Amino acid sequence: MLKTEINELLTRTGPATPSGDLFRHYWLPALLAEELPENDCPPVRVKILSERLIAFRDSEGRYGLIDEFCAHRGVSLWFGKVEECGLRCAYHGWKYDVTGQCVEVPSEPENSNFARKVKLTSYPLVKVGDILWTYMGAPESPPDLPEFEFAQVPPEQTYTSKRWQESNWLQALEGGIDSSHVSWLHSGGLKNDPLFKGTKGNEYNLNDLRPFFEVAEADGGLFIGARRNAEDGKYYWRITPWVMPSFTIVPPRGDHPVHGHFWVPIDDENCWVYTFDFHPTRALTTEERENMKAGHGVHSRNIPGTYRPEDNKDNDYLIDRAAQKRGETFSGVRGIAQQDASLQESMGPIVDRTKERLVSSDTGIIKARQKLRKAVEGLRDERVTPPGVDPAHHRVRSAAIVLPQAESFIESSRDALAAREGVAHTTV
Amino acid sequence: MNKPILANSCASAATAEEARFRIDREIAGRTALIVALDGDAAEVVDRVAERPWGAARFYRTPDVDAVVTELEDADVVIMVATAEADGDAASALARLCSERGIMLAGLVLGAQFDVAEAVSALRPYARNLMVTEDEDDVAAVLTALRA
Repeated sequence: MLKTEINELLTRTGPATPSGDLFRHYWLPALLAEELPENDCPPVRVKILSERLIAFRDSEGRYGLIDEFCAHRGVSLWFGKVEECGLRCAYHGWKYDVTGQCVEVPSEPENSNFARKVKLTSYPLVKVGDILWTYMGAPESPPDLPEFEFAQVPPEQTYTSKRWQESNWLQALEGGIDSSHVSWLHSGGLKNDPLFKGTKGNEYNLNDLRPFFEVAEADGGLFIGARRNAEDGKYYWRITPWVMPSFTIVPPRGDHPVHGHFWVPIDDENCWVYTFDFHPTRALTTEERENMKAGHGVHSRNIPGTYRPEDNKDNDYLIDRAAQKRGETFSGVRGIAQQDASLQESMGPIVDRTKERLVSSDTGIIKARQKLRKAVEGLRDERVTPPGVDPAHHRVRSAAIVLPQAESFIESSRDALAAREGVAHTTV
Repeated sequence: MNKPILANSCASAATAEEARFRIDREIAGRTALIVALDGDAAEVVDRVAERPWGAARFYRTPDVDAVVTELEDADVVIMVATAEADGDAASALARLCSERGIMLAGLVLGAQFDVAEAVSALRPYARNLMVTEDEDDVAAVLTALRA
C-alpha cells in the first residue's frame, strides 16, 4: 500500500514534476534506430515524459529531437519535409536544424536576422546499439552515455523491439521485478516458447511453485534473487538486476539469448516497453532472430507498420479460452509480453496503490518503490544524483545459478552479476 | 483477426475515471508480529513501534514463549536483525510459523558484507528476505503490508 501522495509522486513524470526531474537525469530510449533508417527520411513523432517532440535525421546523418510544433503557428512539424540539413514546416516553410535552431523564415527578407532569434526546445539524440537515446535534463551536464551490455555487443549479437503499453510506467516496471508471477502467468511459455524451452532451469521453475525471495542493494538499484530447491541440498537461484529508473534483465535460461526491458513513460497513462535479447559471446541465430521478430520470448507481435501489439485491449488481447482450458496458456493470452501487458493495463491507467493488499513476497516491489521515492526526494530536496546515472551501474548481468544452501547469492555470484566483454553469462 | 471483439470487456472500460471506484470495500490490515533478533535490531524496532500502526505488535527480544501466545491470529511474522542476529531464535520462530501456516519474513539491516552471517542464519527460514542499509525500510514494509 502506498499513500496517495507517494503514488502521485512516483507515477507523474511530466515537466516540473519530481519524478519527471528524476527521469530527466538519465539517458532514455527515445526511439529505435530503425525508425530513422536513412538521411532525410520522414520525421517521427516522439512523445516522452509527456513532451511532444519530433525526431529526424538530416542530410548529413545527424539526429535531432526537437519540439514537435512550429514556433510560427503551432502546427505539427510531422507534416514537414526533411531536406538540406533541416526540417521544413509544411505550413509556411520555416526550417529548423537538429538543434531546434530556426535557420530559414521564407516570408522574411533574404538578409533578415529574424530566424536566428527563433529556437525550439531540443534534446540530444545519440545512437547506442539499436536505440536512439536522449537526455532531457540540464543541457550543461549530460551524464556519460549508457553502457548497458545489450547495447554494447556487436550488432549480430543483439536485437531490440518495442511496444506501446497503455498503462503508467511504474506498474509495468513492477511486473518486471515481480518474479513470483512467472511460475503462474508465464508457465505455458516455459514449456512451449522456442526462446525459453528445453533448459534445466525450467525444470526447477516448474517443480517448485513456491520460491523464496531475497532482495539486496546494488549500486544502481537492486538485485532480486528467487531461489528454488535443486538437487543435493542446493538452491537454484534466478537473479534479476534492476537499474534505476526502469531497466531490468531477466535471468537467462540455458544458452538462450538473455532478455530484458527498459520502460519509458510516454505520458502518465502510457509507456514504451523496449525489449532486448542479446548473447554475450555469440551471434544470434537466424532462427532466434526470426522468433524474436515473430513475437516469441518476451517480444510482441505488433500490428505491421506500428509498435502497437496485435493483441491489445481493443480486442480483449485475442484471449483464447480454449487454450487456457487446455493449459497451453495460463491466462488465455498468447505471448509473455501481452500476458504481462493485459494484466497491467487491466489495473487501470494509473493503478491506485492505496487500495492494494501486498504480501511479503512483494518485498522487491516495496523496496524498489522506497528506492525510487528516496531518489526522487533526494534529488528534489538536496540535488543528489540518483543511482543508475553512472554508466558503471549499467554494467550488470542477470544470472541463473545453482549454489550450496549456505552460500550468499550476492557474494557467490559477484562475478556472474558483472558484465564482462567476451565472457559467457552464468546460466542453467 | 478471427476473434470477436467483446465490446463490453473490462479491458476496454479501463479508464482513469472508472478506476477510482474500484475495490471500494474496506481493506483490513494484516496482523503482523515484528520480532527483533538482537540488541541493535531491538533499538530499531523500538523506534518503528513509536509510529501509529494497526494490529502490529512489536517484540524487543526473540522470546518464543511470549510470541507463541500471539501467533494464533497473526498473518505474518517479520524478523528484524543486524549482524548479531540470533540464528537459533530464527529457527524456533520458523518452526512455530511453519506449524501454523504463518508467513515468516526477514529484514536484515546493514551492509551486505557485514551482515553475511546473519543472512545465512535467516535464509533457511525466511521465505522473503530483504538486506538493506536503510532503517526506513522496516516501516516501509510494514506500511505496505498495512500492519
